[in-house]
Amino acid sequence: MLVTGSSSLLGKEVVAALSARGDDVCGFQRSASSPHRSITGDIRDRDAVMKAAEGNDAIIHLAALVAPKPSWNDAYAVNVVGTSNIVHAANELGRLVHISTPSVGFAHEPSMGGGAEAPAYAGRDRYARSKALGEQLVLKESTAQTIILRPHLLWGPGDTQLVGRLLERAAEGRLALPDHGRALIGTMYVDDAAAAIVAALDRTGDSPQLSGQAFLVTGGDPRPVGELVHGILAAFGMERKIASIPAPLAKLLGSVIERVWRGDEPPLTAFAAEQLSMAHWFDQRATESALNWQPQVSVDEGLSLLAAWASTELGQQFLNGLRHRNRV
Amino acid sequence: MSAPKSPSAEELLSFGLNPSWSRRVTFLNTAGTPVDWHVLDTGAGPLGTLVCVHGNPTWSYLFKDVLTTLAPGWRVIAVDQSGMGYSERNHPRRLSERIDELVQFCRQEVCGPVVLVAHDWGGPVAVGAAGHLNVQALILANTAVAKPEGVEVPPLIKAARALVDFSCRRTPMFVRGTAAMTTKEHRKALNAPYRSADRREAVRDFVADIPLGPDDPSAEALALVGTTFDQLTCPILLIWGGKDPVFHDRFLSDLRRRQPSASIERHPNSGHLVLLDGAVGPVIAQWLNLQASGLPADASDTLNDQLVDETVFSSLTRHSSDTSTIYRGPDGSLTWEDLGRRAEKASKVLAMGGLRPGDRVALLVPPSPDLLVAAAAVWRCGGVLAVVDPSGGLWSIRRLLRAQAPRMVIGTRRTLLGDRLFRFTPGSIAAGFGVRGVALDLDASIDAALPMVGLHREDLAAIVHTSGATGPAKAVRYTHGALTSQREALRALVQPEPDQVFTTSFAAFLLLAPVLEMSCVRPDIPIDQPSALGFDELFAASDGGPIGTAWLSPASARQLTKTAAGRSIAIGRTLLAGAPIPAPLAHSVKEITGGLVLAPYGMTECLPITGGEDPELIGPSGGTSVGFPVDGCTVKVVSLSDPRQALGDGQWGEILVNAPWMFAGYDGAWTKSEASTLDLDGISFHRTGDVGYFNEGRLYILGRLAHVLSTKDGPRASVAIEGPIATALGCEVAAVGVGPEGLQVVTVVLNTQGKLRLAEPNLALEARRVSNVPLAAVLEGTLPVDHRHQSKVDRTVLRDLVATFLEGR
Repeated sequence: MLVTGSSSLLGKEVVAALSARGDDVCGFQRSASSPHRSITGDIRDRDAVMKAAEGNDAIIHLAALVAPKPSWNDAYAVNVVGTSNIVHAANELGRLVHISTPSVGFAHEPSMGGGAEAPAYAGRDRYARSKALGEQLVLKESTAQTIILRPHLLWGPGDTQLVGRLLERAAEGRLALPDHGRALIGTMYVDDAAAAIVAALDRTGDSPQLSGQAFLVTGGDPRPVGELVHGILAAFGMERKIASIPAPLAKLLGSVIERVWRGDEPPLTAFAAEQLSMAHWFDQRATESALNWQPQVSVDEGLSLLAAWASTELGQQFLNGLRHRNRV
Repeated sequence: MSAPKSPSAEELLSFGLNPSWSRRVTFLNTAGTPVDWHVLDTGAGPLGTLVCVHGNPTWSYLFKDVLTTLAPGWRVIAVDQSGMGYSERNHPRRLSERIDELVQFCRQEVCGPVVLVAHDWGGPVAVGAAGHLNVQALILANTAVAKPEGVEVPPLIKAARALVDFSCRRTPMFVRGTAAMTTKEHRKALNAPYRSADRREAVRDFVADIPLGPDDPSAEALALVGTTFDQLTCPILLIWGGKDPVFHDRFLSDLRRRQPSASIERHPNSGHLVLLDGAVGPVIAQWLNLQASGLPADASDTLNDQLVDETVFSSLTRHSSDTSTIYRGPDGSLTWEDLGRRAEKASKVLAMGGLRPGDRVALLVPPSPDLLVAAAAVWRCGGVLAVVDPSGGLWSIRRLLRAQAPRMVIGTRRTLLGDRLFRFTPGSIAAGFGVRGVALDLDASIDAALPMVGLHREDLAAIVHTSGATGPAKAVRYTHGALTSQREALRALVQPEPDQVFTTSFAAFLLLAPVLEMSCVRPDIPIDQPSALGFDELFAASDGGPIGTAWLSPASARQLTKTAAGRSIAIGRTLLAGAPIPAPLAHSVKEITGGLVLAPYGMTECLPITGGEDPELIGPSGGTSVGFPVDGCTVKVVSLSDPRQALGDGQWGEILVNAPWMFAGYDGAWTKSEASTLDLDGISFHRTGDVGYFNEGRLYILGRLAHVLSTKDGPRASVAIEGPIATALGCEVAAVGVGPEGLQVVTVVLNTQGKLRLAEPNLALEARRVSNVPLAAVLEGTLPVDHRHQSKVDRTVLRDLVATFLEGR
């Protein structure tokens, strides 16, 4: 099968997990840097996608443009047009696992154990909006056996998104959380997400009744933001007191900053402030029984794995890489 | 005479009624004259037929909830009485004619037994008809079958009656005024059949027919209705709105006295139109189903007839010439002889003042010799004591006493003044010590001997109230049979010795002195502050001498340990209420008293259940032991998911109890009583709402059922989670679940001063390390405690606080 976005943290894990059980996996990514078989290409290019898909029996679509404030054209091209190309290719093959995000159903309300909402997000955040359009498109146009997964807040060794940004901010001394990070959020260790994707792939083969459904996937072990952040920093020996700002102020700041900021990485957006100040953990009982999968790594276990990794050479390289980037 | 048309289908739909229910019925009255009625009839139902009779000035719409809830299982026919609603308008009807019409209607339309449902002045009509029909059950709401003794005709009725044509016919004042007693949604429908003066003639005639005096035309018919009601043997349900200015609680009190076994469902916040205000349909359905299953009454009939051979206070006769002290306190002392003599005299005064067996008497007497005399005198007359806890505050006292509508109130000059001022017991007869009127300490001798009142086991003896520490205070009924049995259980617990004294921080427990036949000393503390009982007060109460048994609230136990300052006082047996008690507290009390310290498990509904444990034992699955069940008390632990399934040793679940001294239901709260009762193997158990388990015969308590966490791995008891964390961290801990049922995540809160916040990281780590379940969050802050006892963590409040905190904003 073809795995798009195979160079990402999760992509690597998925490819590794599938290869490990003997599946014939082919990655599809922008730049070639993989120990596994892969094709270099751009998902915005339909021909390239169709060609890469040839000879496969399924597609796992992980590739996405993730940034706090991407240009809308870029976000649309990758997360909507790119997804459309994948759907086309998958319709030829017959099976598709589309990776979405819980943000597509975000309604500016906290979720304390809520279920999967319709992908109706139409707010200011370009990433969430483009992903919502992408999921709608999959639901409308896919004729393949399709399962949509919405994994929530991935983290793990080598993660540049959550872990990397946290460490950067902490190192720069500009890390602050809304209301001391009291909001309870569900997160997911990367290995569990990969296992869920593999399970979903198998279900596209043996459970046709699941086709067209979207499932929330998390580690099922929610934590307050503040405790989680503290744990991740502690894993890298960077324990420190984290500053707090009132949640309404954070949202206000976010919406001001995102409007005036030039570039795709404003330090704070209203969407990010909302995500950090409101609970969002989910009811995934339906997910677990449908996929016949269960998370294996609790937050505490994940944190010890992260700490162990941080003390390895790879971990030190990761930390140095972040420092190097900061100097540039 | 005009026959008004039935309402149109559109109109009925706009009222929320099914248009197919509306039909006309013509039948002959006894005189052979045809009568044309409009009725709402849901059509055949396999369970039976209800015939519903409205009052004045309403119509069959009043039974909307009954019609919609009970059909199609039951056939429900709600009639419009002659001249009312959409029935034929013609000559004025007397009560006797209305009764006859209902009888003839039922004979024509219903085959087999009928359930009569009636409201307001429909009540006398239905009860009158019940004397001539095969009635399966009777359901009445805010009505009367007679003007209760001492009750004035409701002023609203009097006013309407004075200008009857103006208020009831010419203007829609009476119709609109009645409709205004319920919520807006019903007003249009209630007013609909009475839009013009000529359609309101019967409204006027109805009011004019109410007998105000013995010479009024319908007085005789109403008197017959009263007699019929007294003689009814069918099951009766009384549904009552507590905020009715016309048929207020004293009318309920009259009906209750006439039919003591009637089930009562009182809605304290509903008014006259309780049938529209309260969700009464489901209550009626549940009650009827239970009557149909034939469980009630029959089995206990044999017990009913048993006389109580010895009442709780019959020890008085044994000690009639005993000059030893039974009570000693800051307000004087009392010998056995005094008590017997004064009580006998006071009971004569009460009987002459109008107290009859079965009447309720509110006791507003602070703990004193007078309290013992008053209680003994009321029971001697066969009266029912209504006791309220003064620490609940004025409004709580008012709410609880209003619901009782006692016939008599006994107090001091001060409390009686308060009673009249705040109208706790409007219309009751005031009696007391040192008061004018019914003076219980009357000096003149009364010659007439009061005949002995034969008390049956099932006769009501007292109404006591739950503390209100967990939810609003509930009125708990106790029979003489239960109190007699309770005496033996309490004796086993207290183990009274004739030469030893008993003391307590609970005002009401002073009544136990003659019951236990143990001299009682009352410490000098304000009655509404058990927490004021510290070392010095106890020491003063016993004159420094040894105390046989002390029964203390957790608050006074805390005060005792706080104020002891290294001193000690000899107490043979300290009983601590509010089990389970934190082990450190029991320990400290033991060090001070040098005697046994027991925390027997029990509650207002059933006391005692277990005998307590000394020293405290921590169970293998958490929780503290409360000891073994006392003799005569059956305790079962049942599954949370299926309460009919009893669990074995070591498995935790809800605790059910049965004892001969158990309460006899909540007063005026039939649904609540039902919900707290479970029949297993033919024994009626009380659901305690506590969870726990047995281990080697001992009972261990794991907290309240309402505080059980519903996690994705199944239910978890709060206490079982808290134990190991509290031990490891050395501070009080409360565990609550947040999130939807079946998916709650566990949060623990460490008790430290201040607002709720995330716990310090090292505390959180330690809590997680020792916890026996995965924790979503570890918080710290001041734990909310119940405002009543200031001793139990209010986990319901805490859960909401934690959920709001973790939800963010």
